[in-house]
Amino acid sequence: MGGSADKPVLFQDGKRLDGRALDELRPLKIVAGVLKEADGSAYIEWGGNKVICGVYGPRECIPKHDANPYRALMKCRYTMSPFASLEEHGRSGPNRRSTEISKVIKEAFNSVVMTGEYPKTQIDIYVDVLQAEGGTRIAAVVAATVALANAGLPMTDMISGVAVGKADGQLVVDLGKAEDNFGESDMPIAFKHRSKEIVLMQMDGKLTAEELGANIDAAIGGAEKVYALQAEALRKSYDASEKQEFRM
Amino acid sequence: MEKMILPGEMVWEREVSASGTYLHEGKTYATVMGMMREEKFIPLEMAYKPKAGDNVVGIVVEERRAGYSTDLNLPYSGMIPTRKVRITLDLGGMVYGKIAWVDEVGNVDIGEVDRLPPGKIITVPPSKVPRIIGKKSSMLNQIREKSGCSIFVGNNGYIWIGTRGNVPLVLKTIRLIVDNAHTSGLTDVVAKYLEDNK
Amino acid sequence: MILMGEEMREMVLQEVQREMLSNMLAQGKRMDEREKYDYRKVNVQKGVLATAEGSALAQIGDSKVLCSIKFGEMTPFADRPTEGVFMVMAEFLPLASPVFESGPPSPASIELARVVDRGIRSAEVIDTKSMFIQEGKVLAIFIDLYVMDHGGNLTDTAALAAAAALSDTKVPKVVDGKIVRGDYVGPLNLPDKPLTCTFIKVGDHLLLDPLREEERAGECQLTVGTVDGYVVCMQKSGLGSLKKSDVMECVDVALRKGNELRDYV
Repeated sequence: MGGSADKPVLFQDGKRLDGRALDELRPLKIVAGVLKEADGSAYIEWGGNKVICGVYGPRECIPKHDANPYRALMKCRYTMSPFASLEEHGRSGPNRRSTEISKVIKEAFNSVVMTGEYPKTQIDIYVDVLQAEGGTRIAAVVAATVALANAGLPMTDMISGVAVGKADGQLVVDLGKAEDNFGESDMPIAFKHRSKEIVLMQMDGKLTAEELGANIDAAIGGAEKVYALQAEALRKSYDASEKQEFRM
Repeated sequence: MEKMILPGEMVWEREVSASGTYLHEGKTYATVMGMMREEKFIPLEMAYKPKAGDNVVGIVVEERRAGYSTDLNLPYSGMIPTRKVRITLDLGGMVYGKIAWVDEVGNVDIGEVDRLPPGKIITVPPSKVPRIIGKKSSMLNQIREKSGCSIFVGNNGYIWIGTRGNVPLVLKTIRLIVDNAHTSGLTDVVAKYLEDNK
Repeated sequence: MILMGEEMREMVLQEVQREMLSNMLAQGKRMDEREKYDYRKVNVQKGVLATAEGSALAQIGDSKVLCSIKFGEMTPFADRPTEGVFMVMAEFLPLASPVFESGPPSPASIELARVVDRGIRSAEVIDTKSMFIQEGKVLAIFIDLYVMDHGGNLTDTAALAAAAALSDTKVPKVVDGKIVRGDYVGPLNLPDKPLTCTFIKVGDHLLLDPLREEERAGECQLTVGTVDGYVVCMQKSGLGSLKKSDVMECVDVALRKGNELRDYV
């Protein structure tokens, strides 16, 4: 966030840097049930992001003493591959950023997964970012919802989301990389689809209360579009004519 | 294709008790993916929750004082209480039984246990088991007949197949059913498949 | 951290698998009806990562391994100051199998990385002498193997992904001693494509390209790495032992089958 000598013009002649309209999403493709071993899985390509999600559960809680006698424990591990960025080869394994993201994703799903159905067990959500281009935590949440449904884990609602923000004074939906780096604000936000209750929200930047309200409304609209694609991915996974082959 | 319902979508505008749904403010919503067929909600994919009366196939993995601990392909072990079983079971032995009870913390007791001879055990998603069995075991019986194999199907997703008979045919047929469980007319498709490949 | 009950359970299930497999093999059948030296369905997709200089996704049966090749700058080894370096690292993602845990690399994942590395190094297909930048700085090639689905025989799947990724790799331009990302000199010179063929021994039977269930039941494994006409590396792993005749049989099959796999790269 903040200005820099290399800052590109983010909005000009009614179009964003990559040619999109203000409320237009980057190209988004979701496929459900791509992995054989995982109980549920989903693969998502969103702009330049490539994210794979695998879900296991309910399964034995390890360590045993962590088990909750009334409900399943939700666990989430979000990681970025060392080759996810265009820059240098990174380190593998968790870091502070990925630990924080794992936590907020886990908490989002705790709101919808019916953990009371499977006491003393655990449910694991694993998300790995293979290629990153801004908005990976939202891509992770969108993929995880599809993977959980694919696994047959009961949920009271599905979760959908999008990142919204302000770039060159304009309210934009689904921030691209440049908007993420150089814009005035960035807010990834995810909702329960039916009730529109917010289950994940992080924001940084500088906005008035009014602008913030408008951002949330725009996000609800964006999340609806994303939901339509999640729904389509799940429906397609039952279409015998469409082989769920994994292609990147 | 019949209408597919996603988790969180409304199934009925009134309260109905059905597997794979939950009630909220007077309406019934789906918790898992499912389909509406003849006014009934059929869950397509559901993580298995053991309940009393379910038939299960298990593998004995430990002998304890209280009984035999059995692997049921679940995050919970099944227990065959010693006082309930009159036969001795070996480690690695396979059994067929009924779930006697399940408590709120996931302890599972198995009764009416029969020992199964050595055979092959395969795993299928528990949500597909009803299709493999079919109405009044019609599907399962036609597989047994055309393959000549002994087959026991557990609601927990373990299927035991005896060594004699056309075992590969059974495996392929079960695979066919699992991949097409949601389609209608499956019984006829399977009948033809068994006839063509026996 | 596994408790006593868990270990017992695993051991019993393993014995059960072993018996089932032995029975089937006695009747001349594998679990998926393949012949003993047949590979499952093979699929290779190259150029799948825009953020890497080379990449490939390899699938053998249900096993899926993604390989990424990225260049970097490093200080060379003291005893080889003008030679570039390359390293192979493998990550068994927890989403790939219920038995993979998150945490530090397991011995199995380290072994896989080192075996694939050995094949590439012995075949001498990466010309490290051409990777010198300036004094105290050389090019480094990071070969990452990301295991995404464990259907058995991860080694051959990983080696295939690595060879395909290397054949997809473009060498970046170096200007004023620094790599210019996105600007390339040309394709990486790859004189040959090292691959592996992994066998499992069950009783008296040798089977190529084991399924996960076959791996669980098998006694030991032998991986034979080849380039066209030569053996470049070998690794025996698992419990149990092999006769010399077993090894020679595997080498013979590997030299043949390696070439069939090479057609996919």
